[in-house]
Amino acid sequence: MNMDAALQTFFSESRELLEQMESLLLQLETLDEASRQESLHGIFRAAHTIKGSAGMFGLDDVVNFTHAVESVLDRLRNRQLSVSDALVSLLLQCRDHIAQLVDSAEAGNHDSTIVKAGQPLLAALQSYLVAGAAAETQAPALPVSEPPPFERLDSDDVASSECWHISIRFGHNCFRDGMDPLSFITYLKHLGDVISIIPLAEFLPTVSEFDSESCYLAFGIQLASSASKQEIEDVFEFVREDSILHIIPPRSRLQEFVDLIEAMPQVDQLLGQMLVTSGALTENELQRALQLQQQRSSSHQPLGEIISSTNAGIQPVLQAALDKQGKVRDTLVKEQKSLRVDAEKLDKLINLVGELVTAGAGTSLLADNLGDSALNESVSVLNSLLEAVRDAALELRMIPIGATFSRFQRVVRDIAHELDKEIELVINGAETELDKSVIEKIGDPLTHLVRNAIDHGIESPAVRAAAGKAEKGTIILNAYHDSGNIVIEVSDDGKGLDPELIRAKAIEKQLVDENAVLSREEILNLILEPGFSTAEKVSNLSGRGVGMDVVKRNIAELRGRVEIISQVGQGSTMRIILPLTLAIIDGFVIGVADEQFVVPLDAVLECLELKQQPDNPFDAPYFNLRGQVLPLIYLRHCLGVEGRYPARQNVVVVQSGGVSAGLVVDCLLGEFQTVIKPLGKLFSKVGCISGSTILGNGSVALILDIHGLINTMTESEPQLLQ
Amino acid sequence: MAEAKQSLAVREGDASAQEESQYLTFLLHGELYAFGILHVKEILEYGRVTKVPRMPDFIEGVINLRGEVIPVVNLASRFGMAASQISRRTCIVIVEVDQETDSQVIGVLVDSVSEVLEIAQDSLRGAPSFGASIRTDFIRAMGKLGEAFVIILDENKVLSVEEMTLVGQVRDAAMEN
Repeated sequence: MNMDAALQTFFSESRELLEQMESLLLQLETLDEASRQESLHGIFRAAHTIKGSAGMFGLDDVVNFTHAVESVLDRLRNRQLSVSDALVSLLLQCRDHIAQLVDSAEAGNHDSTIVKAGQPLLAALQSYLVAGAAAETQAPALPVSEPPPFERLDSDDVASSECWHISIRFGHNCFRDGMDPLSFITYLKHLGDVISIIPLAEFLPTVSEFDSESCYLAFGIQLASSASKQEIEDVFEFVREDSILHIIPPRSRLQEFVDLIEAMPQVDQLLGQMLVTSGALTENELQRALQLQQQRSSSHQPLGEIISSTNAGIQPVLQAALDKQGKVRDTLVKEQKSLRVDAEKLDKLINLVGELVTAGAGTSLLADNLGDSALNESVSVLNSLLEAVRDAALELRMIPIGATFSRFQRVVRDIAHELDKEIELVINGAETELDKSVIEKIGDPLTHLVRNAIDHGIESPAVRAAAGKAEKGTIILNAYHDSGNIVIEVSDDGKGLDPELIRAKAIEKQLVDENAVLSREEILNLILEPGFSTAEKVSNLSGRGVGMDVVKRNIAELRGRVEIISQVGQGSTMRIILPLTLAIIDGFVIGVADEQFVVPLDAVLECLELKQQPDNPFDAPYFNLRGQVLPLIYLRHCLGVEGRYPARQNVVVVQSGGVSAGLVVDCLLGEFQTVIKPLGKLFSKVGCISGSTILGNGSVALILDIHGLINTMTESEPQLLQ
Repeated sequence: MAEAKQSLAVREGDASAQEESQYLTFLLHGELYAFGILHVKEILEYGRVTKVPRMPDFIEGVINLRGEVIPVVNLASRFGMAASQISRRTCIVIVEVDQETDSQVIGVLVDSVSEVLEIAQDSLRGAPSFGASIRTDFIRAMGKLGEAFVIILDENKVLSVEEMTLVGQVRDAAMEN
């Protein structure tokens, strides 16, 4: 293992853990007792892992600070402290500080100002520790280690030594892996006092066999520490796989056995057996011990007797402890079942899959033309597999928006505190999946919208009470799929937007003419214009007149749009509507003359034949759909397609944004797995086309943007009247 | 000028030394134009081009280049001449142009591709201030070929995405009024 690479892993892992910590901390106050305890364990684990790994790399600033945080967390989870708003806030600040320390460590500079900035936090943490310690003197001493029963069980037979005994035999490849045994032992000092280190020379080979690059080091270490077994074990995490590590808790009668056995030649195996009998070991140690037991079944017969004579009463405890550890391990395994993959590799895969799908469509077209049934069958099997591969590949890029949403818990909490407002954030549709690239770009505009909602939308509790509303304001983040689009909403139940005020402001800022006739919607949209701000005074959050236009621009870059819905006094909803810029959609292919177009299948409601009647000529502007007026869009005219009229035409009823329309087309060609190819900047101004795709025969078909198409028609209407 | 002529197939090895002065020449309404060989990625036979509605005339449409959808520009229309008629010799030259932030691949429809020419640096002349058949800012240089001249085009100007998009908008605006 390369240490540099390991360091990089540490940084990215730490960030993930810190994020995890934040979200758990934010949940703490709302949880019931049982799940709160679980969360506290999670937070503690995160802090602990960061501290442990940081120690490995000698990042002392991180270790020192995190240690203090960890101590408070430890008291929290042992219920020596209770969860309070102030404490959670402090811990959140501490989390931020750890993040800063990690960042500065990554930047490679030891910045004393950052460390100094942590001093007040440390002092605040200290106060929790001291207050807790006073309480502890009355309470019976609490066990520190995670699986505590062993020590207490053995307490009637305590050895005189108050120290942990650690026996570590480093793996032969230790040096080759870039590990320095000394750093582990140095790090042990963070956990307690190293009383003595005894090198074990039994493992040294003869000079002729000695390889100067191999590591033959083995130590017996006496450590006085209040750390748990797990903590000590974690110190050696990086060398765990190759090394043989045994940790014996203090005050254990095992100590006697250890002393006894250390003199024996087969030190490690016998020691392992000893540990089994006492129950003070972890699962993998037991596994190893069992393996060894099998290997040497004949040699350890006498020892077996010792085991049976000593462990009769311990067996149930051991079993329970193993079960518990198994569970912990299971959840850990589940948490770590993700794999880091370079985003570029993923993009490449998606591209390849896209080409594969296109090639597959071409092959099935050829097979169809040949009419060979065996070939057709094999092609159809191939195609169904292709579809499965395509779906799986696309899934890889899809990320639920939940993680992005829950980031705002913190934003809302902090800003609401700052402004003395009470705000609850409700998240709906967290499982809605978006393409990774969209998620990356949606964060900033969302932050703007949420900040605006807190700052301008929600009133202060007093104003709210006066208006007869609950003092606690609500902000709702919502996400859902709607006919091929993804809709993300930020709603608040605040004071809403006042069209009159906006209009007056816009006139004052000379954004609109005084006499302009504007619809309500148009007025609301004015707040998206550059240089517009309705806040009467500028706060440090928003109100500087930048923001909403940035939101609009960012969303436009994603080829989406922003809608504003607002009722004075009742709140407003900012609705972001994004196209599925995702690589593949289900499409419906239609033909007009020689051209083929794809309509997103989600937008299609039904298909009908357009009957030619004397009173209903081909260019009738609307259609009678079961008694409803359905406006018709003649794609032939609208898209300027030339070619002969067919004998009869069809109507595809489509819907977008609550508006239905009928697309008049020549023929219906059925569903098609559409690999979306962006059309590029050159075509960015074409309103009614959202992209292109490659058909089975290799030609390019355009994907219709139904919303854009309906809009184009609506806009061109007044001109026709003129 | 025998040494100026070379076959279409350029050998890889000596490419680096000569690229500076190699050009792909092609015909448009009987007149000879050239792109710098470094910008040319490949030459395709004319195939099916999908029209994109509501685009200026000089945007011929889009084609499928091994899974990538790329725009095709009708160069004659771009120069304000009558659009090229499709014939047996019509080709699409795939050109890579540098835009502000990235490079873009664009297909260019030409009447026929002639050959790769090597033109010495001292045979290049500046663009005439007037009298050329196309806008002078499209011309990078005039290459002297014996008695005749070949117009060496400035790919980045001729195929500027920004300008071509603008033309579409101006036309839309004109239509609305």
